[in-house]
Amino acid sequence: AAMNALLGVVERTSANTMMGLQDELKEASQVMLEWNNQNTSRSTIPLASGCELFLKYITRTFLELPDFDQCRQEILERGKRFAGISLAARDRVATMSHEFVQEGQTVLTHGWSRVVAALLLKAAETKHFDVVILEGRPDAAGAKAAQFYAKAGIQTTLILDSAMGYIMETVDIVLVGAEGVVENGGIVNKMGTYALATCARSHDKPFYVAAESYKFARLYPLNQRDLPMKQTSLDFVDTAIWQATGGQVGKDNTVPGKVELSSNVKVDNPTCDYTPAKFITLLFTDLGVLTPSAVSDELIRLYQ
Amino acid sequence: GTQPKGSSSSGKPEPSEKRRSEETGISQKQVDDSKQFSLSYRDPSKYPDEFESVVLGGAEAAMKLHPAVLKLGYRYATGEVREENARCRAMMEAFVQVVEDFQPAKAGSDARNQFVQDVLKPSFTYWTEKCRPHSMSGMGNAFSFLKSAVATLDRDMELAEVKTVLKETIQAYVRERIDFADMAIAKNAAEKIVDGDVILTYGDSEAVRVLLQETIATTSKKFRVIVVDSRPLLEGKTLLKELRRANVECTYILLNALSFVMNQVTKVFLGAAALMSDGSVVSRVGTACVALAAKAKGVPVLVCGETYKISNRVYLESITSNEMGNPQDVLQGELGPNLRVINLLYDLTPSEFVSGIVTEMGILPATSVAVLLREMNPQDTDSAFAS
Repeated sequence: AAMNALLGVVERTSANTMMGLQDELKEASQVMLEWNNQNTSRSTIPLASGCELFLKYITRTFLELPDFDQCRQEILERGKRFAGISLAARDRVATMSHEFVQEGQTVLTHGWSRVVAALLLKAAETKHFDVVILEGRPDAAGAKAAQFYAKAGIQTTLILDSAMGYIMETVDIVLVGAEGVVENGGIVNKMGTYALATCARSHDKPFYVAAESYKFARLYPLNQRDLPMKQTSLDFVDTAIWQATGGQVGKDNTVPGKVELSSNVKVDNPTCDYTPAKFITLLFTDLGVLTPSAVSDELIRLYQ
Repeated sequence: GTQPKGSSSSGKPEPSEKRRSEETGISQKQVDDSKQFSLSYRDPSKYPDEFESVVLGGAEAAMKLHPAVLKLGYRYATGEVREENARCRAMMEAFVQVVEDFQPAKAGSDARNQFVQDVLKPSFTYWTEKCRPHSMSGMGNAFSFLKSAVATLDRDMELAEVKTVLKETIQAYVRERIDFADMAIAKNAAEKIVDGDVILTYGDSEAVRVLLQETIATTSKKFRVIVVDSRPLLEGKTLLKELRRANVECTYILLNALSFVMNQVTKVFLGAAALMSDGSVVSRVGTACVALAAKAKGVPVLVCGETYKISNRVYLESITSNEMGNPQDVLQGELGPNLRVINLLYDLTPSEFVSGIVTEMGILPATSVAVLLREMNPQDTDSAFAS
């Protein structure tokens, strides 16, 4: 969607030079990033890297066709193909990598990822397997994903996030998506992915990541604190109490079982965490199945 | 005992070797053993005639080496020029003078080939065999660059123009691959420094020094630095002086106190003498200890290295191709026949201990150094799969 917005800018631009167009595109990217920051809890990483890649793509086109009007035409044509390629990336990932899910296996996943969904649906066309999903607090992403898989006819189990250690011995492979893939081959994904990865490692279970190549970002996190991360608010509810009321909201719209915290309790709730490369077995991308160290190779080429 | 490297072909010890053995009481076996290393240390003050001939004339001068080459050789041998970038700079400076004074011996013949065969190669060989082995990689790469620069010169150029172009090329190499590279490294690494950081560094690396100075000068980030140093060179004192001048809050410790401070450290910045193609790092001896201790505490280790230091080789351990310093620096006095004193100058840090390598191209995982090498030298990629 972001690509289409940027293409729209190219179409409607009143600039006469490449510099002018690039400025307009940069401004458009900024506006989109800020909107994303303020209005959604999703990470800005895939948006930022997608925009940057698009800009690089444009610059490269300009190097080939210095005449501005010709260049603009070429960009619009290529751009339409590029946007299509990005959407088709998901299908490529599914086609190339669905064989990693084998007959009779149990797949553990976390969060809602369209790439993972595409992959699992493709695998389900020819194989029977089970899916276990972490609940995905605080946005119940896992619960929503479970609905999707169940409707598609895949045997699905939902567990608490904290039950990942408990379930790991019954799982064969772990498969997650990514908000962003960083330069050292690690990933940034929904909070809980790092814990899941360390748990998988200690049980010797393969940890796979499915991600389109436009998510490759020019970030090099050294540790968790080294990431630009958004905090979101969090409510704490003893659901047992709430369920005992039959799921009712009390008078004055109070939620039964909700823990009211005093102001000197600090709540630390970033949306994403960083999983270092050494915990990742393979990455399933539209450029192929890569080891984490190959990501840097691709990045150097993509951003050259 | 096997044939010691570098000795005369008869296998008998050279007079200088025998003398060393007699004077220091080291057995001949130990002298031969020590030749496992690329070059045993040669103390100019102990063997004055050897080095006299270096400067004043004698066998080397008879080889028609330029005085600048001989003078630099002496500086290499005494360890006056030791740091990696300094060695490369000095070498290029000497070559600039050599280019200036070069006169083709035979008119009409290929002056470029003559220059490479009769001037450049003998100079480099002289340095690496008589004075000091060439630095792990940087000097070698710079020298290869110079040779190919000479080879690709326009055939029809006048000698005077050739000289001007060559000199400019040499100076541009130093400017771009060292000076500008250090500034780019500083910029890339400075992004990783945040307020409240406790940065640990080891010894005195030019890239790290520039990085810290630039961060202090161009940003208002508040951090403190722990400088780790070690005998016998105590190079960290130079860095410490620079940091004090810039009013940075510093702590200074020797290597044996490392585990005491590592709990407080948030980031480690290290320098490199060479970046091997499997991601391991050759640096001043002691660096591997620092990286290991940091890894044990989960502290990220960033190695700062200019791309000219990237080598297409892989070292499996620290002994091969290492250099030795003066053993007297480590332990003075009569050593006796049973004591061997080893003063190594470099060690090898495996890539697992390196969180990232900061180059002028950006921060890369250690395993991607080989990719950079390939990207920088596409002409060398000899692949059966090349399309």
